[in-house]
Amino acid sequence: MKRWELALLVVLVAEIAIFATANPKFLMPRVIFGSINDIIPICIISLFVTMVMITAGIDIQAGAVVGLASIVLGVSWQDLGLNIWVAALFAIAVAALVGLLTGYIVAYFKVQPMVVTLGGSFLYAGLALLVSTLSSTESYKGISGFPDSFTSFASYRIGGVLPVQVVVFLVMAVFAYVLLHRTKYGRKIFLIGINQNAAEYAGINTRFIIMTTYVLSSISAAVAGIVLTSYLGTAKSDLGASLTLPIITAVVLGGTLMTGGKGSIIGTALAAVIIGELKFGLPLCFRVNMQYLDIPVGVLLLVVVSARAVASRPGFQVLVHKLKSHGRN
Amino acid sequence: MLLKLLRRYELKALAFLLGMFVIVTAVNPSFMSAESLTNCFNDSVVFTLLAVGAGFVILTGEIDVSVGSVLGISSAVAATCLRDGGSLPTAVCLALLIGAFVGLVNGIGVAVLKIPSLIFTLGTYGVARGAVYVYTGGAWVENLPAWFTGASHSYIAGYLTWFYAGVVLLVVAAQILISCTHKGRNFIAVGDNINGARLVGINPTQTKIWAFVLSGVFASLAGILFTSRIGFITPMSGNSYEMKAIAACVLGGISLSGGLGTLVGAAIGAVIMTSITRILVFLGLSSNYDNTITGIILIVIVVVNTVIQDRAILNSHREISLKRIAKEAFKE
Amino acid sequence: MAEEDLLLEARDVVKSFGLNLVLKGVTLTVHKGEVLSLIGGNGAGKSTLMKIIMGIYTADKGSLSICGQRLEGAITPSRAMKAGVYMVPQEPMIFPHMTVSDNVLMGFRGNKADLKKRLSEVYKEIGCTIDLSRLGMTLSIAEQQMVELLRGLMRQSRVLILDEPTSSLTFDEVQTLFKIIGDLKSKGIGIIYITHRMAEVFEISDTIGIMADGRITLNGPVSDFTREMLVNALLPETKKKEARERTPIEKKIRKAMPLIEFDHFSGYGFKDISFKVLEGEIVGIAGVVGAGRTEFATAVFGREKPLGGRVLLDGTDITGLSTKEVIRLGINYVPEDRHLNGLFGISPVASNITSALLNSKLTGKGGFLNQASENSIADRYIEDFRIKVTSRFQEAGSLSGGNQQKVVLARALATMPKVVILDEPTRGIDAAARGDVYGIIYKLREQGIAVILISSDIDEIIELSDRAVVFCQGRISAQFPRSKINQENLTAASFGVYKEDNHAA
Repeated sequence: MKRWELALLVVLVAEIAIFATANPKFLMPRVIFGSINDIIPICIISLFVTMVMITAGIDIQAGAVVGLASIVLGVSWQDLGLNIWVAALFAIAVAALVGLLTGYIVAYFKVQPMVVTLGGSFLYAGLALLVSTLSSTESYKGISGFPDSFTSFASYRIGGVLPVQVVVFLVMAVFAYVLLHRTKYGRKIFLIGINQNAAEYAGINTRFIIMTTYVLSSISAAVAGIVLTSYLGTAKSDLGASLTLPIITAVVLGGTLMTGGKGSIIGTALAAVIIGELKFGLPLCFRVNMQYLDIPVGVLLLVVVSARAVASRPGFQVLVHKLKSHGRN
Repeated sequence: MLLKLLRRYELKALAFLLGMFVIVTAVNPSFMSAESLTNCFNDSVVFTLLAVGAGFVILTGEIDVSVGSVLGISSAVAATCLRDGGSLPTAVCLALLIGAFVGLVNGIGVAVLKIPSLIFTLGTYGVARGAVYVYTGGAWVENLPAWFTGASHSYIAGYLTWFYAGVVLLVVAAQILISCTHKGRNFIAVGDNINGARLVGINPTQTKIWAFVLSGVFASLAGILFTSRIGFITPMSGNSYEMKAIAACVLGGISLSGGLGTLVGAAIGAVIMTSITRILVFLGLSSNYDNTITGIILIVIVVVNTVIQDRAILNSHREISLKRIAKEAFKE
Repeated sequence: MAEEDLLLEARDVVKSFGLNLVLKGVTLTVHKGEVLSLIGGNGAGKSTLMKIIMGIYTADKGSLSICGQRLEGAITPSRAMKAGVYMVPQEPMIFPHMTVSDNVLMGFRGNKADLKKRLSEVYKEIGCTIDLSRLGMTLSIAEQQMVELLRGLMRQSRVLILDEPTSSLTFDEVQTLFKIIGDLKSKGIGIIYITHRMAEVFEISDTIGIMADGRITLNGPVSDFTREMLVNALLPETKKKEARERTPIEKKIRKAMPLIEFDHFSGYGFKDISFKVLEGEIVGIAGVVGAGRTEFATAVFGREKPLGGRVLLDGTDITGLSTKEVIRLGINYVPEDRHLNGLFGISPVASNITSALLNSKLTGKGGFLNQASENSIADRYIEDFRIKVTSRFQEAGSLSGGNQQKVVLARALATMPKVVILDEPTRGIDAAARGDVYGIIYKLREQGIAVILISSDIDEIIELSDRAVVFCQGRISAQFPRSKINQENLTAASFGVYKEDNHAA
């Protein structure tokens, strides 16, 4: 495990320890596992946005895709009469198509990913709203009344303790880990992010690979949307509206370089869980108002990136070196 | 003089806006009234200020996603001050100070610590948004003095509000700042070619800090107009406005890679953004189409611009390579 | 010339980078209205000297005075500019989205109208014809240089440095530039003109300075020089005789069949290239920078679209195939700019070495990466090429230049190519690493691999090549068999002035 991941692990353990001392209830398996329910979309999506960012791209439309997938699921079940699981597959297919379009524009037209996904965040949020108007239900109410088999899925706890959502997250994390760190595809993602020209000269089809990372992140957004719909029991077009920034925060905290070429699934997963526990633990253990939680998350991000920036300055490194040799004398 | 500064990108955006108006009128002639036309502009004041502020930053090649939160915190503070009987100058000064402070922090983080601007302003976005909740205790700020909320409905002439007139003046002043003054022109130079800027003696660090401070100040000004127009402040006020402000800049022809575009363009972009909703009503479409159409316009414009530009660059490279070849073969 | 005519004087300038002594005491003067042509091979120290004059680098020793004013202490670019020098860089630094007049006036203080008035005066003086309202990105290189010239003149520079201004200009543009240089000269401006082109030197200069190996070896009025003297003077002292006396290296008997064949191959930047490379043969491609060699190589490698002719590998037409296909069929290319196109800086050495192998089964089956085989491939090359690393996981960007180059070589050779194109394989690396690279190239020849060696270092071509092809302005100006590869022939052909009868005897 790399140093950064280790540091994140220490932060997570410390965080849990602090919360547990403040409120021993926090450590109950039911409670601590339950905490993930609220942050599952961030956890799942950030895993795959990590891959996008390693190619030196960015995806700020994932939140919109969550809503789109949710409402497509709802409408195709309620108004098209599809089986709920077929509807879920359909929602994933729609999201994959969305990712394909975005990825194609980014990779083959070389438009800045920030702009394309900014446009996408409007477009897909808008499309989600339009899809919701196709339904016979008012869009602000959302579509509910799903079959029990679907709604109980996300709330099911294996052995009465371990929520299925945690399992979904772990499965996705393992999948993402193997894909990024154990396959040639993953290696190509890193190489492209480090030096796209050099990757081209190595015979790597960089544009195709870049495009597929956006497909993956959109599919993960759809999966998150389906899990969230199942958990809430309601399909709404704006489910993911506020997810964009926490996702980017998790990816960056996880050690992914904005300029591409560096990042890890373990880091992102740990960072997402740290953010999740923070948001869960502060209200539970310190009675911090739920609405204040943007502050600790923002501060965490600012402190971490600033500290990393200062530590990587040549001046600072010289200082450290001097201090070390001074200590030896 | 001013027209000359506007060159093609802003003209294109303006033509696009007028084209939109013409099409709507063709479909529904009742749109062509002074009231509905001026309302398109009156409604855009908040986004215009946000977009112009963000425009300073984007022109230098950075990005600022904290403007929505800055709007939130500064309007909450100003509104509370006014509600509790504070004077307008006090409220405005408080708001501007907050905006300038957040901008300064952003500027130092990005220009001095060299942290990618998206990440750093994302952090201040979160903190400032949280600060709104802390400051307001999660409650709405209501019962603002009537003279203040009424100010947004006072007209300078016909249907044109004082607010819009003031905003237009500000935009023009900002545009003159960046195209006619030495310091101001540095913004574009830094975004266009940062090494070239250093070569001719410009300090990029200073320039970027100024851009963020201006962005913060414009966002807090937008907050004051927002408060007057809406009449109350919720903890979510201004949430997700940053994306719309950035989109307005892109629509108005500012390139996210910096160095290209004008603030007048950003203002036109903001009018386009806000007009889309109003226009949809006249077209008989629901406002549900709002985001879809914004997204499509944004993506299409950017793709077309990028493709045209890339083609031009590739062709000129190829042309130069071809010109280098000797006209005749050597005798071997 | 009179003392008061002295515009620039650099005396005994010494500069070293680390242990590498680049300037070994250079003295140079420029007078009013003088065009000094500075000639020298790559790495002779010309650009280092110019950067010292411009205040971009600081000299270790020596003095510098500009317009009679001695510059003491640390010289910054803005101080040097104020004193009256301006350098037009080889690649001008233009603001792409600004108009020409904004490009020139950026960084000036003062009334805009006054500045514009002065600009239009300067503009008329040199007979510039560029529309001042055009955008920087629409300018050709020649026009960009014009903008840089205007920048210099607006700063009332007395000395202008032109760094290879004609390397990317067309014939007509060169003529315009020369006319302007003539005008500036008559106004008493001193010009340092750096070039590779012999013909230009005689056309425009008053004095010539020849730089080699960190010194000015010859300096005098242009009338003292002949073309042959220039060619001769460019040869490093020690190599002149040795080169001709070398005995050819013993070669293996090769198949008559050419492994790779170019037949009137044309593209952006090169035209009608025809030659063959046999199995186990090293063919050197000589020429000056900008002669179209890299463009040729990258077109073969599928990076840019070819415009005509054919490339045959083992008799199969491979013209215009994608890089991935070309690599699969057995060609690999070691790029000229290893930072831009070769190295994955923040990636471990091992994954650098295997990066071109990711489409092959050697690094694992079924899409999975086989760490063990990757490591064994990496270790093999680290050992064979004597790449100095702390471990195979060290970041490639933290290696020395020579070791980075070996990593890039290993990446290309790991794909087991039949044909290797090496583009400037030893540029910027130390002598020991250079020896290792040469060793690798010889070994490739023994293995029967066809090697195409692009190099601007003539000694390298002489040392390694079995045959040499010389590029000049995008075309082949001459081809030499082993016996005729020597400094004189290669230099003359590189500048397009090689004549068969010169060497008939």
